[in-house]
Amino acid sequence: MDSSSNQPEFDYLFKLLMIGDSGVGKSSLLLSFTSETFEDLSPTIGVDFKVKYVNVGGKKLKLAIWDTAGQERFRTLTSSYYRGAQGIIMVYDVTRRDTFTNLSQVWAKEIDLYSTNQDCIKMLVGNKLDKESNRAVTKKEGINFARDYGCLFIECSAKTRVNVQQCFEELVLKILDTPSLLAEGSKGMKTNIFKERPPQTDASTSSCC
Amino acid sequence: MLMQVEHFDDFTLASSWERFISEIEAVCRQWMADGPKNLLEKGAVRLEFSKNLYKVKSELKYASKSYCMEYYFEIPHNESKGSVWNFSLHEMQLCFGVKEFLVIAPQSASGVVLDAPEASKLLSAVAIALSNCSSLLPVVVPVHDPSRKAYIGIQNMGTVFTRRFEADHMGTQVPVQLMHLEGLYELFISKFAYSTLDLSVHLFKVHFTMKLTYRTLPYDEDDDVQGTDTEPTESEGNPGDDTHNKAQWDDDCPWSEWYSAEDPIKGFELIAIWSEKMVESSLQMAELENDSPREADKWIIFPQLSQNLSDASNGNQVGFASQMHLLIDALDMSFEAQFMEDFVSAVENPGPDNLKASRVIPPPSVVDRVLKELFREGMRDPNFAKGEHKNSRVVKGAPLESLFAQFCLHSLWFGNCNIRAIAALWIEFVREVRWCWEESQPLPKMPANGSIDLSTCLINQKLQMLAVCIERKRELNEDFEDCIGSMDQASPRVKEDDPVGEESDSSIMWTPGEDFDRKCDSPMTPENLHGSGMTVSRFNNEPEDVGLADLKASDCIRRGSAGVVGSMMLLKSNQRMHTPLTQDAPLMTEDMHEERLQAVEAFGNSFANISSEFTGLTEEASSVILLQNFSAQLERDILSSDMSAFKAANPDAVFEDFIRWHSPKDWEDDDAQENKSSEKLPIVDSDHGWPPQGQLSQRMSEHGNIWRNIWNDAPALPASEQKPLLDPNREGEKVLHYLETLRPHQLLEQMVCTAFRASADTLNQTSHGSLGQMAIKIGQIYVTMASVLKPLQVDRLSAGSEIIEDLRRLCVVLEHVEKLLTVAASLHRKFLQAPRLSEAIFSDYYNFNLPRMGTGSLGESTEMTFNKKQQVRIHERPVVSNMFTHPTANQSWRKVLSMGNLLNGHEPIFREIIFSIRDRVSGNHYAAYPSRVYQEEIETYRMYICGTSNDLRVALSVVSCD
Repeated sequence: MDSSSNQPEFDYLFKLLMIGDSGVGKSSLLLSFTSETFEDLSPTIGVDFKVKYVNVGGKKLKLAIWDTAGQERFRTLTSSYYRGAQGIIMVYDVTRRDTFTNLSQVWAKEIDLYSTNQDCIKMLVGNKLDKESNRAVTKKEGINFARDYGCLFIECSAKTRVNVQQCFEELVLKILDTPSLLAEGSKGMKTNIFKERPPQTDASTSSCC
Repeated sequence: MLMQVEHFDDFTLASSWERFISEIEAVCRQWMADGPKNLLEKGAVRLEFSKNLYKVKSELKYASKSYCMEYYFEIPHNESKGSVWNFSLHEMQLCFGVKEFLVIAPQSASGVVLDAPEASKLLSAVAIALSNCSSLLPVVVPVHDPSRKAYIGIQNMGTVFTRRFEADHMGTQVPVQLMHLEGLYELFISKFAYSTLDLSVHLFKVHFTMKLTYRTLPYDEDDDVQGTDTEPTESEGNPGDDTHNKAQWDDDCPWSEWYSAEDPIKGFELIAIWSEKMVESSLQMAELENDSPREADKWIIFPQLSQNLSDASNGNQVGFASQMHLLIDALDMSFEAQFMEDFVSAVENPGPDNLKASRVIPPPSVVDRVLKELFREGMRDPNFAKGEHKNSRVVKGAPLESLFAQFCLHSLWFGNCNIRAIAALWIEFVREVRWCWEESQPLPKMPANGSIDLSTCLINQKLQMLAVCIERKRELNEDFEDCIGSMDQASPRVKEDDPVGEESDSSIMWTPGEDFDRKCDSPMTPENLHGSGMTVSRFNNEPEDVGLADLKASDCIRRGSAGVVGSMMLLKSNQRMHTPLTQDAPLMTEDMHEERLQAVEAFGNSFANISSEFTGLTEEASSVILLQNFSAQLERDILSSDMSAFKAANPDAVFEDFIRWHSPKDWEDDDAQENKSSEKLPIVDSDHGWPPQGQLSQRMSEHGNIWRNIWNDAPALPASEQKPLLDPNREGEKVLHYLETLRPHQLLEQMVCTAFRASADTLNQTSHGSLGQMAIKIGQIYVTMASVLKPLQVDRLSAGSEIIEDLRRLCVVLEHVEKLLTVAASLHRKFLQAPRLSEAIFSDYYNFNLPRMGTGSLGESTEMTFNKKQQVRIHERPVVSNMFTHPTANQSWRKVLSMGNLLNGHEPIFREIIFSIRDRVSGNHYAAYPSRVYQEEIETYRMYICGTSNDLRVALSVVSCD
């Protein structure tokens, strides 16, 4: 945002948000992605933020990734970070079942309540794949939830860095595929619904009156 | 060579008359050869009213006159089969019972009118030409003045038979007997009676079918003048003083608070059809005339729509859309000035702008009335859910019932929404808001609790913030006056006086200082807590019971407790863990969030790493980090505040206890099984398994953990004694500063968004039954609004920009929806007892309008009239019949009834009858085609009669043997 005044050194700026119960490894996942290292980090207080520049699909992207604290006490504050996010990463711990069930019971509702972006891409991420022996949530369950909620799904490990890059990449590719999100991400681009869409005769599909 | 050709011509085509015939013949041959399919490709045009009737035309010259010959033909179509009363029939088809036909007439441009001899000459020319190419097409020629609709025609039937057509019209002075079915029947009989002299004896088998059209009386015939008079006054902002006005049709529609719409449905026409029956005597006809239309076989209804409805270009229909147009004009003008005050003061130096005249500020009395409605009325808590559509939130406005949304709606109708009137009203509005602030009066129509809804516009967020600040200021003042500063008095009082568990309610009443602390806890209590032991509600789990037990031990020092946490015990002291009352997270409007985000982003990438090494730094270095952690500081403050409150509520607690409460996942129980059982039965045995066994998670227990550092520094202080996270005085003043210095275009942008949303929310409340299309349409308009209004939030608007154009288009879209809704609402209330009909008619109207609603482009109007008809089912007939109210004495003396078949005292406005006689004609006439015609019954005589109470038109077709 502060770079908008200069020559932008990127094609698109996307805002991503990470949510999920405390201790599922959101910050570790983010660190694993941004600095390619793994640490057992101390719990996030409120919110953390990282920027990563990536090249995806031939585009230079600036990813502003917001990492929120899972503790419910911070939840009222984190609501503001949903604003304008093009992608939301919902993280759970494959070894702890409650972190998975809370996604549908708590976090999905938070998204509905606070997300201002109708087209925003959601991604379900099962972390701590390295602790396969303690697994409490099957991959099938994850897939089913993702299907019901209409989001992407991947299992990964912040520790072994398995699927970490893919997780972010896939999300970003999906955002790049969504014109309305793309329009937001690029500065100065403007959409005109009156010019874009010719009048449609089918009442149920036309989204313009 | 050339001579030879002319010579040849002279021999074959003797006269210009013959040339004319051969010209016609050539055209007809071409048409016949082409056939319907090729003609379509060659540009035959479909007649507007019909689904399958097309025509081609060709111009011909004879003598000095030019003629136009038209060929009407049908493309087989699966729908329009059936009844003779098919609504898509061409006049000629109806009159003469033909399918395809030719019409030849002088070019209308030449203004030639055919007299009878000339018409028959023309007719015979075509007839000759047609027989030359052995075509069996009927041909008709208009005679006399076109308004008379008189025709003659002829058809070669392919045998010795010829059918002749004749139609004429009687404009005035219709003989009385021809007004009655009996007389018309006899007229028909007389056409062939010459062949059978004993008319009275012979019984003719006459086929008869009839179609009657009735029209309801206009709904508001008598008050038309008055009704149109009041509307302009209203739009100038005086909806209050129209007491002389009688009840409008839309009085209970949601928009009637702001304007009165013209009833789009002026009335209905009902068509009653008697299907074909055999009539054998004139007596029978007389009986038929006494039939009530209730006995008709088929009822068909269609609405008569108001002229204004179909007139898309006519923008003077008052409604939300019309006012939104004005508001957008104001937005366009708002870039002219720095402050809203500039628009008001501009009156002293009248510029060259001649628009100034229209920019009048309504008199102070009107301003006062609006302010009174905004600030004095409806002090009760607004019901924000009212009128809210599930899509409302996508439009960045304000809830319909909120202060700012109401301000926007009032400005729409205030001084016809010119920029100066808006400015004047806004200044008074802000003055009034400041008064509330200075006097600590609750802000009306704004909730003083909850969190700030970031999906609303900034002004609404600011007002929400102000409402909360005022509320907190009041609490602080009350605390000050009552000299109740500390909580340790309050808590025991609660427990003594209110053992029933309504603890939270009563504490709000008694100790306002505790109020918001309590509220802040409520979001933490819902059932969706973590699945640990904390799932048990912190309040309701019989707090008194255990609380009293605890009181004995540490009553004197425990402060700010909100009750115990399930069965959780402290680690280092055999006591129950208490939930502290905590401070609410500070409220922030979106601009404050934005500031924070930018700060985090500016320093962001590094702060987490640094903060993890927070300990062991010098004073100087840590202050640098504090600066860098500008945003994280807030969260840290909250954490610290929670820790202080926890310490105060649990004097003997250690850091691990806090973690167990605050971040339960960072506490690992040694015996999870045991924990679970105690979770289910929390009060069975409170001493069971004390002290709890377990340890902090790896990440919490690491050396130099920042949480522990904050814990160590946090003093034990109940929330009520802590420095508030939100300073109401400062934040409230900031809000007022924002409102008072708001740039005109920023105000207008938010007004546009909010007014759009509020208009849609208002319209959304209209009851229209359950019209699916309407519901979809309304859902869509929010989405459309959201996407058009989005650029407004980016704040890069300038006067006359493209966005203004888009906004105007959006108004047109809104206008469509508004019109549709008035139609839907009007239909709904007229067909309350027959919802299927209102749905069907609305659906027709909707589909009729659909092609025109797509683009939202300006001034596009196609000349089409809505004429879709709906069949009325038997059980719906009473509803329709009730619409034909018995005429009042006043209405009935105006008219002398002359036709029969009255419906509740209404005579048909239009009557159509077809008589026919069919014959199997004896075989010997048909030597050429014996087998074909033998089986066929042909209409030897057919008469079509249509008329109103003062005119009559008769068309006759007769088959004769020449």
